[in-house]
Amino acid sequence: MKTAVAWMLWLITCMVFILSTRNPIYIMVVLLNLLILGNHLAKKKRNNEWLKHNTFFLLTMIGLSTIINSLFAHSGRNILFTLPKGWPLIGGNITLESLVYGAINGLVISALYLLFNILNLSLQIKQLTRLIPRAFHPIAMMVTIALTFFPSIQQRAQEIKEAQIIRGNPMKKMQDWIPILIPLLVTSLENAIQLSESMTARGYHVQVNKNTNLSLVGLVFGAFSIFSAWILQLYNYPEGILFVLYILGGLIILLTLLHSGKQRTSTQYYKEQWGFSDLTGAVFMSVYLLAYISLLSYNKLPSLFYSPYPNLSFPPLQLLGLLFSVLSIFPLFLSFND
Amino acid sequence: MIKISSLSFTYPQSTTAVFNDLNLEIQPGTMTLLAGASGSGKSTFLRCLNGLVPHFSGGIISGKINVFGSEPIKEGPEHMASRVGFVFQDPESQFVFDIVEDEIAFPLENMAVPRREMHQRVDEIIHEMQLTNIFRKNTRDISGGEKQKVVIASALVCQPQVLILDEPTSQLDPVAANEIIKYIVKLKSQLNLTVLIAEHRLERLLPYIDNILYLTQDQKMVYGHPQKVLPIMDQVPPIIDIAKGLDVFPLPLSAEDFPDEKKRFQPVEKEHPHDENKDSLDPFLDVNNLSVNLSDQKILHNISMQVNKGEILIIMGPNGAGKTTLLRALMGLIPSNGSRHFMGDDMTKMTLTQIIQHIAYLPQNPNDLLFADTILDELKTTLKNHNKSLSPETISAFLKHFGLADFQHRYPRELSGGERQRTAIAAITVHNPKIIFLDEPTRGMDYKAKETLSDLFHEWCRQDKSVLLVTHDVEFAANIADRVAIIEHGKVKFYGSPKRAFQCYPAYQSQTAKLFPNTGWIIPEDIVLTT
Repeated sequence: MKTAVAWMLWLITCMVFILSTRNPIYIMVVLLNLLILGNHLAKKKRNNEWLKHNTFFLLTMIGLSTIINSLFAHSGRNILFTLPKGWPLIGGNITLESLVYGAINGLVISALYLLFNILNLSLQIKQLTRLIPRAFHPIAMMVTIALTFFPSIQQRAQEIKEAQIIRGNPMKKMQDWIPILIPLLVTSLENAIQLSESMTARGYHVQVNKNTNLSLVGLVFGAFSIFSAWILQLYNYPEGILFVLYILGGLIILLTLLHSGKQRTSTQYYKEQWGFSDLTGAVFMSVYLLAYISLLSYNKLPSLFYSPYPNLSFPPLQLLGLLFSVLSIFPLFLSFND
Repeated sequence: MIKISSLSFTYPQSTTAVFNDLNLEIQPGTMTLLAGASGSGKSTFLRCLNGLVPHFSGGIISGKINVFGSEPIKEGPEHMASRVGFVFQDPESQFVFDIVEDEIAFPLENMAVPRREMHQRVDEIIHEMQLTNIFRKNTRDISGGEKQKVVIASALVCQPQVLILDEPTSQLDPVAANEIIKYIVKLKSQLNLTVLIAEHRLERLLPYIDNILYLTQDQKMVYGHPQKVLPIMDQVPPIIDIAKGLDVFPLPLSAEDFPDEKKRFQPVEKEHPHDENKDSLDPFLDVNNLSVNLSDQKILHNISMQVNKGEILIIMGPNGAGKTTLLRALMGLIPSNGSRHFMGDDMTKMTLTQIIQHIAYLPQNPNDLLFADTILDELKTTLKNHNKSLSPETISAFLKHFGLADFQHRYPRELSGGERQRTAIAAITVHNPKIIFLDEPTRGMDYKAKETLSDLFHEWCRQDKSVLLVTHDVEFAANIADRVAIIEHGKVKFYGSPKRAFQCYPAYQSQTAKLFPNTGWIIPEDIVLTT
């Protein structure tokens, strides 16, 4: 699986699953799958330390989340021990329920973190910037340049710091940072001017859109339509009207973007090649997402909802739930053919 | 054809014109070298040809420019991109993308070339320019010479008739620089390009060019065949100096062109200034078996050398040989094995604060140092850092050495490259250190600025200070060296007298040494004639 669209579908599907369940076993299964998938992708890129670094990071995050929650939330029946009531904020009962609740939070955050980490492993920056609509071409350009420039600016900062230290700058007070910040700022500005000169000399120019006003009006109308639908929803207006307003707003925005995107007369060198694995992946993820949402709305997956309160119990399990959590590893099977 | 008639230009907020009533015609398919001191308007002139001046720079322009039927002043740089390819000094600051092939395709994207054709043209240029082994790589992971090739490819992919290069080799080591120049010459005949190239080190380009465009300080210009223009230029490469002295005509543009009969005479035995220096018993700096490992890679192996009192030691070697690493290791900025002694004291036991009292270090980019509003403040900052103070008269006298006495209240960054470099050197030496390390101080400098620098170094030597200088500039090094170390692949390949260094190693041969082998002469001043 190589295309940005397929991976984005995977990301959305996994996010929906992780955010809709509080069952620690399901999330742990997802986490395990993500670790296997990530390790596989990282090894392909000859990054052998990935698993070690991330496992350590995740364990720290889960541990911290558990401790912090138990220190600040004191409700629950299974009291482990009690901190003196006089201690501000953290004084009170430390309960098993609160520990479990914190750990589940940590698991969810870890899984979300891993999702984006894997997306970063599997896609290049230019694939992600391509997802930005063409109407916002200058923004996409800016993101690309910023990401290309970031490592070089970091390196410059290091060089300047060293130069100033050798000159005898003690680097102790806030003031001592000025000799580093000013050269860094000025050099970055000079570089920016040179880059823009070079881009201009190679035919780049921000095209002034003849229909700027029209597209602005379009965007405002679209946003207004969606916003009013949301307000009306708060006052329980009939669903039909809301539906029409939402769809109308969305359509106006989409058409405006498409229209102003067409105004740009540049082309793109890079094109994603859709292979068999991308197609399979995209179709699979869409089916997965639809099936999951419909099962969820018909309440067929009660085991997703678990809470340590009011009675601490072992999380319920369903074969279907386990199946859905295992499927996050799916891209792994597609990546063998790439 | 490029035709310029009565061109005048003044930068915004400036009262003096850069050009006044220029008239010029450049024939298609020729290669023109732009020569002239820093600030004579070379870059400005080149930018006029693709419309960056005045569309990007602002300013007042008058007159007419016609580049193969287009008018850059009217059409602007965006529309000139398909006719004029432009390559700037520093390849690194021109990259938009992180992948080589995307970078090359960038101008085609801007011109809305259909994707299929775009791929065809990018493939073509990649093959033509022999970039097949790097086109999928990250722009950070390729060498300096390769970076410059990528920038040239990106300029040529639109199939322009004119290629303009603004000091394309100033950031490269001599090997890469020569390669790029030969490459440009090859491309020129392959694609029938009209090439304009600005360059300070004329010796590299003279054998290849058709014409010289010489911009004088008084906004005049002379255009024509090298034989016509070279005699009236005041700053020329050593070979032209020698030829003028020996009455060789036509002027030889390379060592091969130099007539043999003029080389045939007996060298005179005379006491040489470049003879072997004996290691003194109490050197300023004594380095023994220094080795450096960075991230499990051995960068330097068992380096041993000495810097004596009042001596200039030159370190040369290709890019990536470990020259800068050596300077940093000597300062103690990176961990190293082996011994370092400063006037008998063990430097491994000294703190950085103690070391910088005695040793000053100028990094490659002088802009890293400059931040204050005036030159005077720059110096005061260093003095404050070292808890010292000097009377205003002493500081003025100090600045006079650097030729900066009149500028002490000026903003350092608005000075010329040479003046800026001297300001940076003044800022690191005002606390009177014993040894000065300099990392490529002559990058992008004209002959005159280099001369001022070498005068300064000689003045230091008279004051019993020592200089350790890393450079790629063979002619500059031959002029000032008391001793030379050549480092390749992290090892000392040669350490000894300049006479042997500049005579025996082809990659580091000075022009004088090339003309008169086995004489021990390395700079024009050495030549003594008996007929």
